[in-house]
Amino acid sequence: MTETTPMLDIKDLVVHYGGICALNQVSLHVNKGEIISVIGANGAGKSTLMKSIVAVKSFTSGAITFEGQPLKKEPHDVIKDGITLAPEGRRIFSPLSVRENLMAGAYTRTDRREIESTMEEIFELFPRLKERINQRGGTLSGGEQQMLAVGRALMSRPKLLMLDEPSLGLAPIVINLMFETIVRLNQQLGLTILLVEQNASLALEICQRAYVLKTGTINMEGTGQDLLHDERVMQSYLGIAK
Amino acid sequence: MELFIQQLVSGISIGAIYSLLAVGYALVYSVYNFTNWAFDGFMAFGAFMAFTGITSLFMPFWLAALLSIVLTVILSVGTEKLAYNPLRVRKAPRLFMMISAMGVNLATVNIINLIYGGTFRKFPVDNLQPIFIKGVSIGRMDLMAGGISFGVLALLWIFLYRTKWGLGIRASSIDILTASLMGINNNAVAMIVFAITGVLSSVAGVFYGIKYAVFPMMGVVTIKAMIASIVGGLGSLPAAIVGSMILGILETLVSGYISSTYRDLFSFLFLIIILLFFPNGLMGKSSDEKL
Repeated sequence: MTETTPMLDIKDLVVHYGGICALNQVSLHVNKGEIISVIGANGAGKSTLMKSIVAVKSFTSGAITFEGQPLKKEPHDVIKDGITLAPEGRRIFSPLSVRENLMAGAYTRTDRREIESTMEEIFELFPRLKERINQRGGTLSGGEQQMLAVGRALMSRPKLLMLDEPSLGLAPIVINLMFETIVRLNQQLGLTILLVEQNASLALEICQRAYVLKTGTINMEGTGQDLLHDERVMQSYLGIAK
Repeated sequence: MELFIQQLVSGISIGAIYSLLAVGYALVYSVYNFTNWAFDGFMAFGAFMAFTGITSLFMPFWLAALLSIVLTVILSVGTEKLAYNPLRVRKAPRLFMMISAMGVNLATVNIINLIYGGTFRKFPVDNLQPIFIKGVSIGRMDLMAGGISFGVLALLWIFLYRTKWGLGIRASSIDILTASLMGINNNAVAMIVFAITGVLSSVAGVFYGIKYAVFPMMGVVTIKAMIASIVGGLGSLPAAIVGSMILGILETLVSGYISSTYRDLFSFLFLIIILLFFPNGLMGKSSDEKL
Protein backbone atom coordinates (compact mmCIF):
# COMPACT_ATOMS: atom_id res chain seq x y z
CA MET A 1 0.00 0.00 0.00
CA THR A 2 1.48 3.31 -1.05
CA GLU A 3 0.93 6.61 0.72
CA THR A 4 -1.51 7.82 -1.88
CA THR A 5 -3.79 4.79 -1.80
CA PRO A 6 -6.93 5.64 0.16
CA MET A 7 -7.91 3.40 3.05
CA LEU A 8 -11.39 2.94 1.65
CA ASP A 9 -12.02 3.46 -2.02
CA ILE A 10 -15.45 3.20 -3.60
CA LYS A 11 -15.78 3.41 -7.36
CA ASP A 12 -19.02 3.67 -9.34
CA LEU A 13 -21.04 1.78 -6.76
CA VAL A 14 -24.53 0.73 -7.89
CA VAL A 15 -26.92 -0.87 -5.40
CA HIS A 16 -30.45 -2.09 -6.03
CA TYR A 17 -33.30 -3.16 -3.78
CA GLY A 18 -35.22 -5.38 -6.15
CA GLY A 19 -35.86 -3.16 -9.15
CA ILE A 20 -35.28 0.08 -7.28
CA CYS A 21 -31.90 1.73 -7.63
CA ALA A 22 -30.75 2.97 -4.21
CA LEU A 23 -27.23 4.05 -5.14
CA ASN A 24 -26.17 5.04 -8.62
CA GLN A 25 -22.52 5.41 -9.63
CA VAL A 26 -21.36 6.51 -6.22
CA SER A 27 -17.64 7.12 -5.88
CA LEU A 28 -15.91 8.25 -2.72
CA HIS A 29 -12.76 7.63 -0.81
CA VAL A 30 -11.56 7.86 2.77
CA ASN A 31 -7.89 8.42 3.59
CA LYS A 32 -6.27 7.10 6.71
CA GLY A 33 -6.76 9.43 9.67
CA GLU A 34 -9.60 11.44 8.14
CA ILE A 35 -13.09 12.17 9.35
CA ILE A 36 -15.35 12.03 6.31
CA SER A 37 -18.99 13.03 6.47
CA VAL A 38 -21.75 11.99 4.13
CA ILE A 39 -24.80 14.20 4.42
CA GLY A 40 -28.14 13.94 2.74
CA ALA A 41 -31.86 13.84 3.30
CA ASN A 42 -33.98 10.83 4.24
CA GLY A 43 -33.89 8.16 1.58
CA ALA A 44 -30.82 9.57 -0.13
CA GLY A 45 -29.09 6.21 0.26
CA LYS A 46 -26.81 6.97 3.21
CA SER A 47 -27.63 3.84 5.18
CA THR A 48 -27.50 1.71 2.05
CA LEU A 49 -23.98 2.98 1.49
CA MET A 50 -22.97 1.95 5.00
CA LYS A 51 -24.56 -1.47 4.62
CA SER A 52 -22.71 -2.05 1.36
CA ILE A 53 -19.38 -1.20 2.98
CA VAL A 54 -19.90 -3.84 5.70
CA ALA A 55 -21.13 -6.36 3.09
CA VAL A 56 -24.57 -6.69 4.68
CA LYS A 57 -26.04 -5.41 1.40
CA SER A 58 -24.58 -6.72 -1.83
CA PHE A 59 -23.97 -4.34 -4.70
CA THR A 60 -24.91 -4.65 -8.34
CA SER A 61 -21.78 -3.17 -9.87
CA GLY A 62 -18.80 -1.03 -9.04
CA ALA A 63 -15.93 -1.74 -6.69
CA ILE A 64 -15.09 -1.27 -3.04
CA THR A 65 -11.50 -1.68 -1.91
CA PHE A 66 -10.23 -1.53 1.65
CA GLU A 67 -6.49 -1.03 2.19
CA GLY A 68 -5.92 -1.83 -1.44
CA GLN A 69 -7.76 -5.18 -1.31
CA PRO A 70 -11.23 -5.87 -2.71
CA LEU A 71 -13.85 -5.86 0.04
CA LYS A 72 -14.63 -9.30 1.48
CA LYS A 73 -18.02 -10.81 0.72
CA GLU A 74 -19.12 -11.72 4.24
CA PRO A 75 -19.75 -9.20 7.04
CA HIS A 76 -17.69 -11.15 9.58
CA ASP A 77 -14.67 -11.10 7.26
CA VAL A 78 -15.05 -7.36 6.66
CA ILE A 79 -15.17 -6.75 10.41
CA LYS A 80 -12.10 -8.91 10.95
CA ASP A 81 -10.32 -6.75 8.38
CA GLY A 82 -11.06 -3.68 10.49
CA ILE A 83 -14.29 -1.96 9.46
CA THR A 84 -17.18 -1.60 11.89
CA LEU A 85 -20.52 0.09 11.74
CA ALA A 86 -22.45 1.58 14.65
CA PRO A 87 -25.84 1.25 12.96
CA GLU A 88 -28.65 3.74 12.65
CA GLY A 89 -31.02 3.66 15.60
CA ARG A 90 -28.26 2.18 17.80
CA ARG A 91 -29.69 -1.35 17.72
CA ILE A 92 -28.53 -2.29 21.18
CA PHE A 93 -29.19 -5.90 22.19
CA SER A 94 -31.69 -4.75 24.79
CA PRO A 95 -32.08 -7.98 26.81
CA LEU A 96 -28.30 -8.33 27.12
CA SER A 97 -26.27 -6.50 29.76
CA VAL A 98 -23.97 -3.60 28.87
CA ARG A 99 -21.04 -5.95 29.35
CA GLU A 100 -22.52 -8.61 27.06
CA ASN A 101 -23.26 -5.97 24.43
CA LEU A 102 -19.62 -4.90 24.50
CA MET A 103 -18.43 -8.52 24.40
CA ALA A 104 -20.60 -9.09 21.34
CA GLY A 105 -18.69 -6.24 19.70
CA ALA A 106 -15.44 -8.11 20.32
CA TYR A 107 -16.80 -11.30 18.77
CA THR A 108 -14.21 -11.55 16.00
CA ARG A 109 -11.30 -11.13 18.40
CA THR A 110 -9.43 -14.05 19.88
CA ASP A 111 -7.01 -12.20 22.20
CA ARG A 112 -9.00 -12.70 25.37
CA ARG A 113 -6.89 -10.70 27.79
CA GLU A 114 -6.60 -7.76 25.42
CA ILE A 115 -10.38 -7.59 25.14
CA GLU A 116 -10.62 -6.64 28.83
CA SER A 117 -8.18 -3.77 28.35
CA THR A 118 -10.13 -2.50 25.33
CA MET A 119 -13.20 -2.53 27.53
CA GLU A 120 -11.36 -0.43 30.11
CA GLU A 121 -10.42 2.07 27.38
CA ILE A 122 -14.07 2.32 26.41
CA PHE A 123 -15.05 2.90 30.03
CA GLU A 124 -12.53 5.76 30.15
CA LEU A 125 -14.22 7.22 27.09
CA PHE A 126 -17.74 6.67 28.46
CA PRO A 127 -17.56 6.37 32.27
CA ARG A 128 -21.34 6.13 32.33
CA LEU A 129 -21.18 2.69 30.75
CA LYS A 130 -19.01 1.39 33.56
CA GLU A 131 -21.61 2.46 36.11
CA ARG A 132 -24.21 0.52 34.14
CA ILE A 133 -22.11 -2.52 33.33
CA ASN A 134 -24.56 -5.14 34.60
CA GLN A 135 -27.69 -3.30 33.57
CA ARG A 136 -29.70 -4.50 30.60
CA GLY A 137 -29.01 -2.50 27.45
CA GLY A 138 -32.69 -1.76 26.97
CA THR A 139 -32.90 0.10 30.28
CA LEU A 140 -30.32 2.72 29.26
CA SER A 141 -31.30 6.21 28.17
CA GLY A 142 -31.04 7.16 24.51
CA GLY A 143 -27.70 8.91 25.01
CA GLU A 144 -26.28 6.00 26.98
CA GLN A 145 -27.45 3.60 24.31
CA GLN A 146 -25.63 5.64 21.68
CA MET A 147 -22.49 5.51 23.83
CA LEU A 148 -22.94 1.77 24.08
CA ALA A 149 -23.41 1.47 20.32
CA VAL A 150 -20.18 3.38 19.68
CA GLY A 151 -18.38 1.52 22.46
CA ARG A 152 -19.55 -1.80 21.05
CA ALA A 153 -18.30 -0.84 17.60
CA LEU A 154 -14.91 0.10 19.09
CA MET A 155 -14.59 -3.28 20.83
CA SER A 156 -13.42 -4.88 17.60
CA ARG A 157 -10.54 -2.35 17.46
CA PRO A 158 -11.49 -1.11 14.01
CA LYS A 159 -9.25 0.77 11.61
CA LEU A 160 -12.29 2.43 10.09
CA LEU A 161 -15.25 3.32 12.28
CA MET A 162 -18.51 4.06 10.52
CA LEU A 163 -21.27 5.88 12.36
CA ASP A 164 -24.77 5.97 10.95
CA GLU A 165 -26.75 8.92 12.36
CA PRO A 166 -25.19 9.05 15.82
CA SER A 167 -27.25 12.16 16.66
CA LEU A 168 -30.60 10.55 15.93
CA GLY A 169 -33.17 11.22 18.64
CA LEU A 170 -30.67 12.67 21.13
CA ALA A 171 -30.86 15.86 23.20
CA PRO A 172 -28.58 18.67 21.91
CA ILE A 173 -26.26 18.46 24.91
CA VAL A 174 -25.80 14.72 24.37
CA ILE A 175 -25.23 15.28 20.66
CA ASN A 176 -22.42 17.71 21.45
CA LEU A 177 -20.82 15.22 23.81
CA MET A 178 -21.08 12.54 21.14
CA PHE A 179 -19.41 14.69 18.52
CA GLU A 180 -16.67 15.75 20.92
CA THR A 181 -15.98 12.08 21.48
CA ILE A 182 -15.87 11.42 17.75
CA VAL A 183 -13.28 14.18 17.29
CA ARG A 184 -11.30 12.83 20.23
CA LEU A 185 -11.28 9.33 18.80
CA ASN A 186 -9.94 10.76 15.58
CA GLN A 187 -7.34 13.14 17.01
CA GLN A 188 -6.07 11.17 19.98
CA LEU A 189 -6.31 7.61 18.72
CA GLY A 190 -5.91 8.35 15.04
CA LEU A 191 -9.06 6.47 14.19
CA THR A 192 -10.39 6.94 10.68
CA ILE A 193 -14.08 7.81 10.73
CA LEU A 194 -16.82 7.75 8.13
CA LEU A 195 -19.82 9.63 9.44
CA VAL A 196 -23.30 9.67 7.98
CA GLU A 197 -25.56 12.40 9.30
CA GLN A 198 -28.74 14.32 8.77
CA ASN A 199 -27.50 16.95 11.20
CA ALA A 200 -25.46 18.55 8.44
CA SER A 201 -23.98 21.54 10.29
CA LEU A 202 -22.32 19.40 12.97
CA ALA A 203 -21.19 16.78 10.50
CA LEU A 204 -19.61 19.40 8.25
CA GLU A 205 -17.93 21.20 11.14
CA ILE A 206 -15.94 18.25 12.41
CA CYS A 207 -14.99 16.61 9.13
CA GLN A 208 -12.06 17.17 6.81
CA ARG A 209 -14.02 16.39 3.68
CA ALA A 210 -17.66 15.68 2.98
CA TYR A 211 -19.94 14.28 0.31
CA VAL A 212 -23.53 15.27 -0.32
CA LEU A 213 -25.70 12.34 -1.29
CA LYS A 214 -28.92 13.11 -3.10
CA THR A 215 -31.33 10.42 -4.33
CA GLY A 216 -28.61 7.85 -4.69
CA THR A 217 -25.90 9.94 -6.35
CA ILE A 218 -23.04 12.09 -5.07
CA ASN A 219 -24.28 15.58 -5.67
CA MET A 220 -21.38 17.57 -4.29
CA GLU A 221 -18.11 17.05 -2.54
CA GLY A 222 -15.54 19.26 -0.88
CA THR A 223 -13.96 20.17 2.40
CA GLY A 224 -16.28 20.55 5.35
CA GLN A 225 -15.70 24.30 5.48
CA ASP A 226 -16.37 24.79 1.77
CA LEU A 227 -19.65 22.94 1.97
CA LEU A 228 -20.69 24.77 5.13
CA HIS A 229 -20.49 28.01 3.18
CA ASP A 230 -21.95 26.68 -0.04
CA GLU A 231 -25.24 28.33 -0.87
CA ARG A 232 -26.96 25.19 -2.12
CA VAL A 233 -25.93 23.23 0.96
CA MET A 234 -27.05 26.07 3.18
CA GLN A 235 -30.47 26.12 1.59
CA SER A 236 -31.10 22.41 1.32
CA TYR A 237 -29.39 20.98 4.38
CA LEU A 238 -28.66 23.73 6.86
CA GLY A 239 -32.01 25.49 6.65
CA ILE A 240 -30.42 28.85 5.99
CA ALA A 241 -32.24 30.88 3.32
CA LYS A 242 -30.45 33.61 1.48
CA MET B 1 -49.49 -41.12 48.90
CA GLU B 2 -47.08 -43.68 47.45
CA LEU B 3 -49.03 -43.69 44.22
CA PHE B 4 -48.91 -39.91 44.06
CA ILE B 5 -45.13 -39.82 44.50
CA GLN B 6 -44.67 -42.53 41.90
CA GLN B 7 -46.83 -40.56 39.50
CA LEU B 8 -44.92 -37.41 40.27
CA VAL B 9 -41.55 -39.00 39.53
CA SER B 10 -42.89 -40.47 36.32
CA GLY B 11 -44.36 -37.06 35.44
CA ILE B 12 -41.06 -35.32 36.05
CA SER B 13 -39.21 -37.77 33.82
CA ILE B 14 -41.69 -37.40 30.96
CA GLY B 15 -41.63 -33.66 31.57
CA ALA B 16 -37.85 -33.75 31.23
CA ILE B 17 -38.15 -35.48 27.84
CA TYR B 18 -40.71 -32.88 26.74
CA SER B 19 -38.28 -30.22 27.94
CA LEU B 20 -35.60 -31.43 25.55
CA LEU B 21 -38.02 -31.24 22.64
CA ALA B 22 -39.59 -27.96 23.72
CA VAL B 23 -36.17 -26.35 24.13
CA GLY B 24 -35.26 -27.58 20.66
CA TYR B 25 -38.32 -25.90 19.21
CA ALA B 26 -37.79 -22.75 21.26
CA LEU B 27 -34.15 -22.45 20.22
CA VAL B 28 -34.87 -22.61 16.50
CA TYR B 29 -37.93 -20.42 16.89
CA SER B 30 -36.08 -17.75 18.83
CA VAL B 31 -33.32 -17.39 16.25
CA TYR B 32 -35.15 -18.13 13.00
CA ASN B 33 -38.79 -17.43 13.83
CA PHE B 34 -40.15 -20.62 12.37
CA THR B 35 -41.36 -23.90 13.82
CA ASN B 36 -38.99 -26.68 12.91
CA TRP B 37 -41.46 -29.47 12.23
CA ALA B 38 -38.65 -31.72 11.04
CA PHE B 39 -37.83 -32.19 14.71
CA ASP B 40 -40.51 -34.85 14.87
CA GLY B 41 -38.75 -37.03 12.30
CA PHE B 42 -35.32 -36.35 13.86
CA MET B 43 -36.57 -37.75 17.13
CA ALA B 44 -37.78 -40.97 15.51
CA PHE B 45 -34.53 -41.14 13.54
CA GLY B 46 -32.55 -40.80 16.77
CA ALA B 47 -34.50 -43.58 18.44
CA PHE B 48 -34.13 -45.91 15.44
CA MET B 49 -30.40 -45.30 15.15
CA ALA B 50 -29.87 -46.26 18.79
CA PHE B 51 -32.21 -49.24 18.29
CA THR B 52 -30.20 -50.39 15.27
CA GLY B 53 -26.94 -49.87 17.12
CA ILE B 54 -28.03 -52.25 19.84
CA THR B 55 -29.93 -54.88 17.83
CA SER B 56 -27.91 -55.08 14.59
CA LEU B 57 -24.48 -53.78 15.58
CA PHE B 58 -24.56 -55.30 19.10
CA MET B 59 -23.35 -52.11 20.69
CA PRO B 60 -23.70 -51.43 24.38
CA PHE B 61 -26.42 -48.90 25.23
CA TRP B 62 -24.15 -45.88 25.75
CA LEU B 63 -22.29 -46.46 22.46
CA ALA B 64 -25.56 -46.84 20.56
CA ALA B 65 -26.82 -43.62 22.17
CA LEU B 66 -23.62 -41.86 21.11
CA LEU B 67 -24.00 -43.18 17.55
CA SER B 68 -27.57 -41.92 17.54
CA ILE B 69 -26.49 -38.44 18.69
CA VAL B 70 -23.76 -38.19 16.04
CA LEU B 71 -26.02 -39.32 13.20
CA THR B 72 -28.94 -37.14 14.28
CA VAL B 73 -26.65 -34.11 14.48
CA ILE B 74 -25.49 -34.85 10.93
CA LEU B 75 -29.11 -35.15 9.77
CA SER B 76 -30.11 -31.92 11.53
CA VAL B 77 -27.16 -29.88 10.26
CA GLY B 78 -27.59 -31.41 6.81
CA THR B 79 -31.24 -30.34 6.81
CA GLU B 80 -30.17 -26.79 7.70
CA LYS B 81 -27.62 -26.78 4.86
CA LEU B 82 -29.89 -28.28 2.21
CA ALA B 83 -33.41 -27.25 3.18
CA TYR B 84 -33.28 -24.08 5.30
CA ASN B 85 -30.11 -22.21 4.41
CA PRO B 86 -30.92 -21.84 0.68
CA LEU B 87 -34.31 -20.37 1.63
CA ARG B 88 -32.80 -18.03 4.19
CA VAL B 89 -30.16 -16.79 1.78
CA ARG B 90 -32.93 -15.92 -0.70
CA LYS B 91 -34.87 -14.21 2.11
CA ALA B 92 -37.86 -16.49 1.65
CA PRO B 93 -40.90 -15.90 3.90
CA ARG B 94 -40.98 -17.83 7.16
CA LEU B 95 -43.90 -19.91 5.98
CA PHE B 96 -41.67 -21.46 3.31
CA MET B 97 -39.22 -22.58 5.98
CA MET B 98 -42.03 -24.25 7.88
CA ILE B 99 -43.29 -26.03 4.78
CA SER B 100 -39.78 -27.12 3.96
CA ALA B 101 -39.49 -28.47 7.52
CA MET B 102 -42.74 -30.40 7.08
CA GLY B 103 -41.36 -31.88 3.87
CA VAL B 104 -38.18 -33.01 5.58
CA ASN B 105 -40.30 -34.50 8.34
CA LEU B 106 -42.54 -36.46 5.96
CA ALA B 107 -39.51 -37.75 4.07
CA THR B 108 -37.68 -38.80 7.24
CA VAL B 109 -40.65 -40.58 8.80
CA ASN B 110 -41.55 -42.36 5.58
CA ILE B 111 -38.00 -43.48 4.86
CA ILE B 112 -37.85 -44.94 8.37
CA ASN B 113 -41.20 -46.62 7.75
CA LEU B 114 -39.94 -48.04 4.44
CA ILE B 115 -36.80 -49.49 5.98
CA TYR B 116 -38.05 -50.69 9.36
CA GLY B 117 -41.78 -51.09 8.82
CA GLY B 118 -44.48 -49.48 10.90
CA THR B 119 -44.57 -51.90 13.81
CA PHE B 120 -44.04 -50.95 17.43
CA ARG B 121 -40.78 -52.23 18.86
CA LYS B 122 -39.64 -52.52 22.39
CA PHE B 123 -36.40 -50.66 22.96
CA PRO B 124 -33.85 -53.36 23.77
CA VAL B 125 -32.58 -52.37 27.19
CA ASP B 126 -32.24 -54.76 30.10
CA ASN B 127 -35.30 -54.99 32.22
CA LEU B 128 -34.41 -52.49 34.83
CA GLN B 129 -35.82 -53.30 38.22
CA PRO B 130 -37.38 -50.31 39.91
CA ILE B 131 -35.75 -49.16 43.09
CA PHE B 132 -37.78 -48.87 46.27
CA ILE B 133 -37.46 -45.92 48.57
CA LYS B 134 -39.70 -46.17 51.63
CA GLY B 135 -42.22 -48.31 49.78
CA VAL B 136 -42.28 -46.04 46.72
CA SER B 137 -41.16 -47.78 43.56
CA ILE B 138 -39.23 -45.56 41.20
CA GLY B 139 -38.31 -46.68 37.70
CA ARG B 140 -34.59 -46.61 37.03
CA MET B 141 -35.32 -45.46 33.50
CA ASP B 142 -37.37 -42.57 34.87
CA LEU B 143 -34.45 -41.53 37.00
CA MET B 144 -32.02 -41.90 34.13
CA ALA B 145 -34.25 -40.07 31.64
CA GLY B 146 -34.83 -37.27 34.11
CA GLY B 147 -31.21 -37.05 35.22
CA ILE B 148 -29.64 -37.12 31.78
CA SER B 149 -32.22 -34.76 30.29
CA PHE B 150 -31.61 -32.19 33.00
CA GLY B 151 -27.88 -32.73 32.59
CA VAL B 152 -28.16 -31.97 28.88
CA LEU B 153 -30.25 -28.87 29.60
CA ALA B 154 -27.74 -27.68 32.20
CA LEU B 155 -24.89 -28.08 29.68
CA LEU B 156 -26.92 -26.17 27.12
CA TRP B 157 -27.50 -23.39 29.65
CA ILE B 158 -23.78 -23.13 30.37
CA PHE B 159 -23.06 -23.10 26.65
CA LEU B 160 -25.58 -20.35 25.94
CA TYR B 161 -24.80 -18.12 28.92
CA ARG B 162 -21.13 -18.70 29.64
CA THR B 163 -19.43 -19.05 26.25
CA LYS B 164 -18.69 -16.75 23.37
CA TRP B 165 -20.61 -18.96 20.93
CA GLY B 166 -23.57 -18.85 23.27
CA LEU B 167 -23.43 -15.06 23.30
CA GLY B 168 -23.40 -15.15 19.50
CA ILE B 169 -26.53 -17.30 19.46
CA ARG B 170 -28.31 -15.09 21.97
CA ALA B 171 -27.35 -11.93 20.08
CA SER B 172 -28.60 -13.54 16.85
CA SER B 173 -31.89 -14.44 18.51
CA ILE B 174 -32.41 -10.79 19.46
CA ASP B 175 -31.38 -9.14 16.21
CA ILE B 176 -29.76 -11.22 13.53
CA LEU B 177 -28.75 -8.26 11.34
CA THR B 178 -27.00 -6.41 14.14
CA ALA B 179 -25.39 -9.69 15.18
CA SER B 180 -23.79 -9.91 11.76
CA LEU B 181 -22.57 -6.31 12.16
CA MET B 182 -20.68 -7.58 15.23
CA GLY B 183 -18.96 -10.12 13.02
CA ILE B 184 -21.09 -13.02 14.23
CA ASN B 185 -21.15 -15.47 11.36
CA ASN B 186 -24.81 -16.28 10.70
CA ASN B 187 -24.02 -19.56 9.01
CA ALA B 188 -21.85 -20.73 11.88
CA VAL B 189 -24.60 -19.83 14.34
CA ALA B 190 -27.08 -21.83 12.26
CA MET B 191 -24.77 -24.86 12.26
CA ILE B 192 -24.45 -24.73 16.05
CA VAL B 193 -28.18 -24.20 16.63
CA PHE B 194 -29.09 -27.17 14.44
CA ALA B 195 -26.37 -29.34 15.93
CA ILE B 196 -27.83 -28.63 19.38
CA THR B 197 -31.27 -29.43 17.99
CA GLY B 198 -29.92 -32.76 16.74
CA VAL B 199 -28.52 -33.68 20.16
CA LEU B 200 -31.78 -32.74 21.88
CA SER B 201 -33.99 -34.72 19.50
CA SER B 202 -31.74 -37.78 19.63
CA VAL B 203 -31.64 -37.90 23.44
CA ALA B 204 -35.39 -37.32 23.64
CA GLY B 205 -36.02 -40.01 21.01
CA VAL B 206 -33.95 -42.60 22.83
CA PHE B 207 -35.59 -42.00 26.20
CA TYR B 208 -39.07 -41.77 24.77
CA GLY B 209 -38.41 -45.02 22.91
CA ILE B 210 -37.33 -46.68 26.14
CA LYS B 211 -40.33 -45.39 28.08
CA TYR B 212 -42.92 -46.29 25.45
CA ALA B 213 -41.93 -47.88 22.14
CA VAL B 214 -39.90 -47.30 19.00
CA PHE B 215 -42.00 -46.72 15.87
CA PRO B 216 -41.80 -44.40 12.85
CA MET B 217 -44.62 -42.12 14.00
CA MET B 218 -43.27 -41.76 17.53
CA GLY B 219 -42.27 -38.18 16.79
CA VAL B 220 -45.92 -37.16 16.89
CA VAL B 221 -45.29 -36.64 20.59
CA THR B 222 -43.36 -33.48 19.67
CA ILE B 223 -46.78 -31.83 19.38
CA LYS B 224 -46.82 -32.11 23.19
CA ALA B 225 -43.51 -30.30 23.35
CA MET B 226 -45.04 -27.67 21.10
CA ILE B 227 -47.95 -27.31 23.52
CA ALA B 228 -45.48 -27.14 26.40
CA SER B 229 -43.45 -24.36 24.82
CA ILE B 230 -46.61 -22.38 24.00
CA VAL B 231 -47.92 -22.87 27.54
CA GLY B 232 -44.60 -21.65 28.89
CA GLY B 233 -44.18 -18.81 26.41
CA LEU B 234 -42.93 -19.27 22.87
CA GLY B 235 -39.28 -18.67 22.13
CA SER B 236 -38.06 -18.65 25.73
CA LEU B 237 -35.98 -21.58 26.99
CA PRO B 238 -36.79 -21.42 30.72
CA ALA B 239 -40.47 -21.05 29.80
CA ALA B 240 -40.25 -24.12 27.58
CA ILE B 241 -38.87 -26.14 30.48
CA VAL B 242 -41.50 -24.88 32.94
CA GLY B 243 -44.29 -25.62 30.44
CA SER B 244 -42.91 -29.11 29.82
CA MET B 245 -42.71 -29.99 33.48
CA ILE B 246 -46.26 -28.78 34.11
CA LEU B 247 -47.55 -30.73 31.13
CA GLY B 248 -45.61 -33.90 31.97
CA ILE B 249 -46.85 -33.95 35.56
CA LEU B 250 -50.40 -33.07 34.55
CA GLU B 251 -50.48 -35.92 32.05
CA THR B 252 -49.23 -38.60 34.38
CA LEU B 253 -51.60 -37.47 37.12
CA VAL B 254 -54.51 -37.60 34.70
CA SER B 255 -53.42 -41.07 33.52
CA GLY B 256 -53.01 -42.28 37.08
CA TYR B 257 -56.12 -40.86 38.70
CA ILE B 258 -58.61 -40.42 35.86
CA SER B 259 -57.82 -42.42 32.74
CA SER B 260 -54.99 -42.57 30.26
CA THR B 261 -57.61 -42.40 27.50
CA TYR B 262 -58.32 -38.80 28.46
CA ARG B 263 -54.68 -37.81 28.82
CA ASP B 264 -54.41 -35.92 25.53
CA LEU B 265 -57.83 -34.38 26.01
CA PHE B 266 -56.57 -32.81 29.20
CA SER B 267 -53.34 -31.63 27.54
CA PHE B 268 -55.21 -29.74 24.85
CA LEU B 269 -57.84 -28.46 27.26
CA PHE B 270 -55.02 -27.17 29.42
CA LEU B 271 -53.50 -25.37 26.43
CA ILE B 272 -56.82 -23.71 25.60
CA ILE B 273 -57.39 -22.57 29.17
CA ILE B 274 -53.86 -21.21 29.51
CA LEU B 275 -54.10 -19.31 26.24
CA LEU B 276 -57.48 -17.85 27.25
CA PHE B 277 -55.98 -16.26 30.34
CA PHE B 278 -52.33 -15.91 29.30
CA PRO B 279 -52.23 -15.26 25.56
CA ASN B 280 -48.41 -15.09 25.65
CA GLY B 281 -48.08 -18.23 27.74
CA LEU B 282 -47.36 -18.40 31.46
CA MET B 283 -43.96 -16.74 31.25
CA GLY B 284 -44.47 -14.97 27.95
CA LYS B 285 -42.46 -11.79 27.96
CA SER B 286 -41.99 -8.89 25.63
CA SER B 287 -41.04 -10.02 22.19
CA ASP B 288 -37.50 -8.61 22.41
CA GLU B 289 -36.68 -10.91 25.27
CA LYS B 290 -35.87 -14.35 24.02
CA LEU B 291 -33.87 -17.37 25.08
